[in-house]
Amino acid sequence: MAMRQTPLTCSGHTRPVVDLAFSGVTPYGYFLISACKDGKPMLRQGDTGDWIGTFLGHKGAVWGATLNTDATKAATAAADFTAKVWDAVSGDELITLAHKHIVKSVDFTQDSNYLLTGGQDKLLRIYDLSKPEAEPDVVSGHTSGIKKALWSSDDKQILSADDKTVRLWDRSTMTEVKALNVAMSVSSMEYVPEGQILVITYGKTIAFHSAETLEQIKSFEAPATINSASLHPAKECLVAGGEDFKLYKYDYNTGEELESYKGHFGPIHCVRFSPDGELYASGSEDGTLRLWQTTVGKTYGLWKCVVPGKCVLVPEDLPSENSDSVYSSTPEVKA
Amino acid sequence: MPVPVPVGVLRLPRGPEGSSRGFSPTSPRFQALLGEPVAAQGVRATLRERYLRGLGAARGRPTRFCLRAGVCVEAVFGAADVGAMAFQVDALRTPLGVQAAALLRCTDVLAYSFLLD
Repeated sequence: MAMRQTPLTCSGHTRPVVDLAFSGVTPYGYFLISACKDGKPMLRQGDTGDWIGTFLGHKGAVWGATLNTDATKAATAAADFTAKVWDAVSGDELITLAHKHIVKSVDFTQDSNYLLTGGQDKLLRIYDLSKPEAEPDVVSGHTSGIKKALWSSDDKQILSADDKTVRLWDRSTMTEVKALNVAMSVSSMEYVPEGQILVITYGKTIAFHSAETLEQIKSFEAPATINSASLHPAKECLVAGGEDFKLYKYDYNTGEELESYKGHFGPIHCVRFSPDGELYASGSEDGTLRLWQTTVGKTYGLWKCVVPGKCVLVPEDLPSENSDSVYSSTPEVKA
Repeated sequence: MPVPVPVGVLRLPRGPEGSSRGFSPTSPRFQALLGEPVAAQGVRATLRERYLRGLGAARGRPTRFCLRAGVCVEAVFGAADVGAMAFQVDALRTPLGVQAAALLRCTDVLAYSFLLD
């Protein structure tokens, strides 16, 4: 029986969602943080999209957000010239790190002891979170605002992207190792540790490079300008979204377009696979996050496989908090 | 050509609750990582209530206070301040005479007792 994807819409933000990140898998599941231009990043349960809390404190649009591996800490980058570190269990603000311009990107090391930031002042900063008052290590070299900064190679290297270049830095010497010139403005960057793959998007291109050498492995062209792409943990497929409001899923090996979905009411700014690869989340100009199944029809999270032959119920109102009735968004279907 | 059936969902993702910032202290993760065991909170609350009732019961009664250095005095219990840092007493009997009203520092009081009739 052919199944049709039912995305789960997470509402709550009042302005465009510009960044999102998943944590690793923890004993309490995995978590999702979303950065929004309304200045109020939100934490959600990763497999259901249920809202857990909102980090209150920033005084401007939040451009970047991340969680540490066990989702006990969150970090955010904002237009108020600060990056903040938060307790992701209590929601309390722990540290505010003042910058000289808009901060766009934040990333924890695997041990959560250091925070990397990058932004419009074109500098990479490395903060020791056990000594937040101390001056950070500063890495200069970018000639335009930094859009994304990520730890790589077991936190021994740094990958950073500005408008037209992607640079690889050695952390211990704080010097540039390699630079890659990109034909068009880089819209997103994702680092995949297993296999050391760097996913970059620019224009309609989704490109895969070696994170160690920056050599290109392969690239695909999409039908529209792509703002973000994510590689499945098992590297079987990738998802991408951009200016035509649609999400595309491609076979990583062949480049064949497997699926595409409409659903968002605005350009998609960010898309990420969950750590277990069972779903991917997209954030859009329309202010929503949507969760999409990797394997459509599989029972997982809030998605429930409907047994063929049974009628699907259509409730008049939204189901109450306590009832778990199975329903679909289209009229009753009789098999 | 069969019409594709949309995947069923149990419910929609829960959204923010009003103006609350969330991070509920009753969530299993909060309790496990940050919370005091619920049983301990209950015990603390019970003990606190008993203590306050004890102070209320002492009011107006002749009370014996054992202070440091083996000093014992008797007075009529008046009141305790909010943080139990001081007790106000009437007719405090000291070796120097009877004080009509006095404050006893709680840090000096080792024990106090009064009779319930």
